[in-house]
Amino acid sequence: MALKLIANYSKRLGLPGYSSHQFSVCVETEISNIDDVAGESSRLYQTLQKSVDEEIQLTGFVPEQGYGINEQTPAKVSRQNGSSINGGHSLNGHANGEGWKCSDKQRELILKLVEQHEVDKAIIEQLSQGMFGVTVRDLNKLQASGLIDQMLEDYGGKRDTRPMKSTPPRRQYSNGGTR
Amino acid sequence: MRSCAASLRTNRADSTVGRLEELKKTVSASRLNCFHSCRLKFYFRYVLELSKATSPALFFGKAVHWALQQWSKTRWRGGIVDPISLQSEFNSNWEMAQTLDQVDWEKDEETNQRDKAWGLVEMYLRETPIPYDEKPEGVEVVVEADLSSGPKLVGVIDLVRPKGKVVDFKTSATTPQADHAIHRNLTQLTAYSILHREATGQEASGFEVHHLIKTKTPKLVVTTAERMTGGEEDRFHRLVDSYINGIDLEDWVPSPGMQCLSCEFFHECSKHQHSSGGMGS
Repeated sequence: MALKLIANYSKRLGLPGYSSHQFSVCVETEISNIDDVAGESSRLYQTLQKSVDEEIQLTGFVPEQGYGINEQTPAKVSRQNGSSINGGHSLNGHANGEGWKCSDKQRELILKLVEQHEVDKAIIEQLSQGMFGVTVRDLNKLQASGLIDQMLEDYGGKRDTRPMKSTPPRRQYSNGGTR
Repeated sequence: MRSCAASLRTNRADSTVGRLEELKKTVSASRLNCFHSCRLKFYFRYVLELSKATSPALFFGKAVHWALQQWSKTRWRGGIVDPISLQSEFNSNWEMAQTLDQVDWEKDEETNQRDKAWGLVEMYLRETPIPYDEKPEGVEVVVEADLSSGPKLVGVIDLVRPKGKVVDFKTSATTPQADHAIHRNLTQLTAYSILHREATGQEASGFEVHHLIKTKTPKLVVTTAERMTGGEEDRFHRLVDSYINGIDLEDWVPSPGMQCLSCEFFHECSKHQHSSGGMGS
């Protein structure tokens, strides 16, 4: 009488950003003698483990820290009590692939100022902590706007005289609109 | 000669069409208020972009705003404002701004107005409800949000206090009544609420309008409002819809009334009335 032996090997590994991945292999075989169970099990275990270990090293897409928390797809503000079109509140509007909470444009400008003026990133981190108590990556758009203003004053040679220098309501926005 | 005139007309039409498209892409509380107070005024200001000299009142208000902004920024960096150096900077900025802005001052009015503006700032620094060591969450912050109806909402928030309290500074010649003040500024406050939510992911916890009153003895009146309601936001979206529809239809119907007396386009409006066969023609 043939005996059916089913072996299953499964492994789950943790990944950054509170995620994990898992792979399992299951085989079914027949043995003719019950005395072969131990030896066959051992052989299957080694075979399956080797197979799983080889495959599980390919992690595929690995999310950044804060993935799914800090980054939302661009949302539009609709009229239902402030909910965004894609459901829920619009958290910081733009998504960016670097785990920053501010907009892509703000992130680019901060990095550009750091690069152009050869500023030590640690100094900007200190500035961010001093002004807002959070890291640069964790600045929301409101806070990032303040940090950029300060960086422009400190390194960009910008002196803040905006409200008195030109006639409103022609305030220029980045997209060409006016206030 | 004829073809030249036709070409000019075509160019003008093209530029107007382009301008209208731009105006539909971006909206602000100021534009909405202007459009809904008088569409013809909106047409002169935003479509034709007729330039006007800065009014003394506007220049005055900007100067006061500037000083309050410096005060908030100093607190942001953990510093304490020195009124003497702030006044000195205020005066230099006033002078510099004169070279950039064309202001219609009456004779000897300018110095009086400058002193009066500084007096208002001094009064505010003395009487403000904001503690000297309170760190703001945002100062004069430019924010924007994509609205589902199409345009991008843009705005500049004067000050965001801790826990998301949005503050707007206003200089005024008369003392406002609390309920009137909130009602009059509702479009602006609702816009700020939407913008704050977009920028932080959090609802603004409430609003404060700090009125700096330009009476002989300057005074401060603070009016407060709770967080925005769904009804107010819905109303705001309807204002935006009406704005977009009005631009699509190029509906520049005037709204004659008491407000015309202080309108910067009073003369253009009169001419427009005659040329379009109004009652006075």
